[in-house]
Amino acid sequence: MTTAYRHWEILERSQTGPFMDEDDFLPKHFTPTLKKLIKKYEIKYDPQNPCPTDDDMADRVWQAAWDLFREVGYYNTDSHRLIQVTDEEIREALYMAHDQYWVGEGKDAVLWKHRQVEDPAPPFCIMSPDITCDEKYHQSICMAYLKEPLLDGICGPILEETFGHLIESSGPTEISGCIQHIYNQKMAARLLGRPGTFMVAVGTAEHDSGQIAVSNDEWGVQKTDARLVGSLTEFKTADTLLNRSLHYAQYGCYTGNLTGAIYGGWCGGSEGTAVTTVAYSLIGLVIHGAIFNQHFPFHLNYGSNTTRELLWAIAMAGQALARNSKLLQTSNGFANAGPMTEMLFRETAVHAMVSTVNGWHLWEMASTRNKYKNRATPLEARIGMEVGHAVARQGLSRAAVNDIANRLLATYEDDAADAPIGSEYHECYDVAKAVPTQEHYDMFRRVKDEIAEMGIEFPF
Amino acid sequence: MSLDELSKLVEDGETEDARELAGTLLKDGADPLEMIAEMTRTMARVGDLFSELEIFLPEIMLAGEALSGVVEVMTPYLDAVGGQAVKGKIVIGVVKGDLHEIGKNIAKLILETNGFEVKDLGYNVDPLTFIKEAEAMGADFIGASSLMTTTMPRQKEIIEILEAKGIRDKYKVVIGGAPTSQMWADKIGADLYCQEAKSAPELLMNLMAG
Ligand code: B12
Repeated sequence: MTTAYRHWEILERSQTGPFMDEDDFLPKHFTPTLKKLIKKYEIKYDPQNPCPTDDDMADRVWQAAWDLFREVGYYNTDSHRLIQVTDEEIREALYMAHDQYWVGEGKDAVLWKHRQVEDPAPPFCIMSPDITCDEKYHQSICMAYLKEPLLDGICGPILEETFGHLIESSGPTEISGCIQHIYNQKMAARLLGRPGTFMVAVGTAEHDSGQIAVSNDEWGVQKTDARLVGSLTEFKTADTLLNRSLHYAQYGCYTGNLTGAIYGGWCGGSEGTAVTTVAYSLIGLVIHGAIFNQHFPFHLNYGSNTTRELLWAIAMAGQALARNSKLLQTSNGFANAGPMTEMLFRETAVHAMVSTVNGWHLWEMASTRNKYKNRATPLEARIGMEVGHAVARQGLSRAAVNDIANRLLATYEDDAADAPIGSEYHECYDVAKAVPTQEHYDMFRRVKDEIAEMGIEFPF
Repeated sequence: MSLDELSKLVEDGETEDARELAGTLLKDGADPLEMIAEMTRTMARVGDLFSELEIFLPEIMLAGEALSGVVEVMTPYLDAVGGQAVKGKIVIGVVKGDLHEIGKNIAKLILETNGFEVKDLGYNVDPLTFIKEAEAMGADFIGASSLMTTTMPRQKEIIEILEAKGIRDKYKVVIGGAPTSQMWADKIGADLYCQEAKSAPELLMNLMAG
């Protein structure tokens, strides 16, 4: 059960809620409230421990996030009004949310369940390059991800062109590109013998019309799949986004809420990033009727989340959500380095271990700061998922992960600002066969062995 | 009471106190040219702190507001000695179809805190709106941000409309955003490409001078 039954009341509030000038919303309303709550609940970043063990603080982060959502509301930039909710509505939504959902179809369906802190159950693994790619590689990249053994769900690469035409936002080329995207992805899944694989699709849709155009159980995004609706940073929405959540609910597929709280921006530091991330989960549930939240908090300058300021925020947010709710959330890694670099494998491993032990599910991996076409591959996602499975099954504690994370951070942290951008997909994958080159695989293996020596017991 | 104290108030974003102190100092005969030079140094320091994330966006924004307050108080004094407070005027926005506003917001703040007068047009802005707003403001620059390959053509449209209206030379067109590049700027005939916001004030100044 999602909370989509509240959609009408919510939509109405974006017309009837209190008016506020958009220029005032963040500096005069959001940030001061957040600062006040961080102080009130005594939330304090600890740079020594990127993966802290602090149940009490986790619960305070949860409280602060709840208050933040209730006190600030969610701003609709089209109507210039605040959508406000009550404590009772938040409680109702949390009560009504399920702690597990069947996603995907037939033999490929997977039961996706809420995880606890230090949960021995492996994380649900969504693999995604999160970037755009050349049209000629799109099909191959979809195939390559779907060849990953630990993949529970896929979100395919984004098209910039459709049949040689540049895709332009909200125009006919976007509609066509979106259809091409889902066809490629579904065909790849069928060819690989996993046609019912759960998909989060389609990233090529930039406008609500693009999403709506691919809702089709025969050939498009099925009801057993999920779609994302974004939030505007921070705590803002617009009609074009609300259109999506309403459409997803009415079509009957699953909704995921896509948010990236920004470290260094309106949230301030690690404390504010953690609290805001948790609050976004409540927004996803109550406003958008999302069954899961897809969070990618990131560093304003680097555009990544594998350095300690961000890992701490991810860890605290994960603990807060895992301990106080039964919601599902994916932790989306953003790395500094590019494909076929040792740094990228290490960054992904750290992101995955810290996320997993703190109750998150995994969404890996936006490589090369999510900025460069063709610069992301399944192999970095693979190391993340293997680490995630290992950490869970081994029953590692937060303290143990903290230790390993600190050791790995020491190998790359100083290079965050000028990380190597590595290779493009076709330079480190055999495009026709959709498998990694030997050189690429050997590097993966080397880093995996190095991490195993630090105490990670890989299942295979 | 001194310029140092004024610097500190601006850095801490204490707009009211900074205005008051600036007023007192000027009445007591402080040199407005020296004061504006000191403010420029202060904001450069604040900018550096922000680029290292020793301070965050809300803090630099408050400092920017305090600076604007001080500049307002100073303007008549500066005019009297022939000094100039505003380095240039710019309208800035994110192009149509694009909701990615973070980079634009940062560019705006950095320009503001470095003495530019900035009119923020928000995001999802029609190409023609950029031009109409630039005309209304009497701007020197039009700044257009695009974060998606799918919305980059809107930057080109701004230039095409300027040409069609016969006013291309009135404005310097500045573009930015992750997928844009010097190559794209050259292709569409933009006057300047900014890879990041920090160097923008200097590059814009050079463009005005040159
Ligand atoms: C955060 C983010 C979002 C947030 C945006 C929140 C907000 N309100 O802004 C959300 C979640 C809403 C979002 C949504 C979407 N996003 Co997005 N997003 C990003 C991400 C990860 C970071 C952008 C960012 O804020 N960076 C931080 C700022 C500080 O950097 P910056 O913008 O580059 O700005 C700096 C400089 O470029 C410069 N600058 C920028 N503009 C200007 C202008 C001037 C005049 C000057 C002087 C300087 C200047 O100064 C800044 C500071 O140095 C990028 C990936 C990336 N690494 O860029 C993807 C990215 C832009 N998104 C992408 C996509 C596909 C989407 C969605 C379609 C996803 C979906 N399927 O729903 C939607 C699109 C919605 C829409 N119609 O716009 C793609 C675009 C692909 C393409 N075709 O080019 C990207 C590139 C990711 C990728 N690699 O695929 N996204």
